[in-house]
Amino acid sequence: MRRRIFAAVVLVCTWSTFVLAIAQTNAKRSQNDSKSKPSDRTTGSQTDGGKLFQANCGRCHNPPESISPREARAVVRHMRVRAMLSAEDEKLILKFLAP
Amino acid sequence: MGARVLLAFTLILFGLSSASAQSNTPILSGGAGFFSATQGDNTFFQPVVAPVLVVPLGEKWLVESRADLRGFISREDGSTGPYQGQFFGTLEYLQLDYNANSHLTITAGRFLTPFGIFNERISAIWINKFQDAPAVAAIGIAGGYSDGFMLRGALISNDRYVVNYTTYFSTLSTVNKFESERTFGARLGVFLPKLGLEVGTSYQRKLQDQRMNSFGTHLSWTPSGLPLEVKGEWAHSLSGQGYWIQGGYRLSQFGGPNSAIEPVFRMQQFFRSRLIAGDSLPSTNVRRPEFGLNYYLPREVRLNASYGRQFISQSTDVNVWEFGITYRFLFPLLPGESK
Repeated sequence: MRRRIFAAVVLVCTWSTFVLAIAQTNAKRSQNDSKSKPSDRTTGSQTDGGKLFQANCGRCHNPPESISPREARAVVRHMRVRAMLSAEDEKLILKFLAP
Repeated sequence: MGARVLLAFTLILFGLSSASAQSNTPILSGGAGFFSATQGDNTFFQPVVAPVLVVPLGEKWLVESRADLRGFISREDGSTGPYQGQFFGTLEYLQLDYNANSHLTITAGRFLTPFGIFNERISAIWINKFQDAPAVAAIGIAGGYSDGFMLRGALISNDRYVVNYTTYFSTLSTVNKFESERTFGARLGVFLPKLGLEVGTSYQRKLQDQRMNSFGTHLSWTPSGLPLEVKGEWAHSLSGQGYWIQGGYRLSQFGGPNSAIEPVFRMQQFFRSRLIAGDSLPSTNVRRPEFGLNYYLPREVRLNASYGRQFISQSTDVNVWEFGITYRFLFPLLPGESK
């Protein structure tokens, strides 16, 4: 029993380390990318936010009929966790929902 | 005990949210509905309210919670006798999230067990295109809720593909309203934005009672420019295996202004391997094709109706009729500027 719990903890820790390592590498890479050649997604246009909303949030549900800027911040933060959005995507979708 | 913890937590939450109210307004969202279902000769009704509380704290933290408050009204002897009702209150999640960076969110508390896509993404009453969950959605979710911690995020994210992951550990809890099982698991998915296609795989290891592994794969396809949605899952455990697949096509040209009609179809099958007590799965092999019609009305109201035929091995097949209405709501919890 203890061995299994120990094995489970080791597995979760190893996975966490792996994830953190990759996350850091990607974070550095995306920082460098944004400095050298900004992609279309970093332009911050509403169209990009709309596409991101449709691709990520729209996979499961329709957009809310009306939403105020005050509500949008909490809604998008909630969606960031659910749909595993990046901070950049969160900003673009927020701009789309509450321009 | 559970109620006290909940009350204390809510008070702390509102204190903190008031402090950060200037930039982050907490919201109360969710859905309310009324459902009726007839399976063979048995008819039952379910009034449901499922509030979702979301409280952003600063730029990195978020507290979110969802409850399911449900009445179950049926005849005393199934198909005869006077109607009687029971009330069930379930705390589905109450979690604290920390957005560490674009690739990692750390979650602690009670959360929806991330196995496949149904439990975490589709189970909300205002999202689910059918009234009930597919039978195999019970595989790998350990009752639906987990108490522990979870790491999740997008490992790689670019315009061509997104690789997302979730991994968690849940502890055994017998505290009222916070019941959970000791498990750990992970889910990995690949999403191709241009195709609108996501495929993924899930794993869970149960670390108590009858220890067992559960495996699953999922698929979600929402092509851009087409109001089509296809979703499906296959799952396997010691109890058995099965799948569900559903599709919906939204017809905005019918139904009137700001409305839409959506024909939906779902097929599900479950094959029982071994009887395991409390696994929330059908006791024998089951097959059920279903057809339905969802009518999206203005102001976030949706009507749905569906018919299915349930083929049960070693028993009589039954018709399943379901009708329902759902309303999705969203409003800020603190006073401020109007919309």
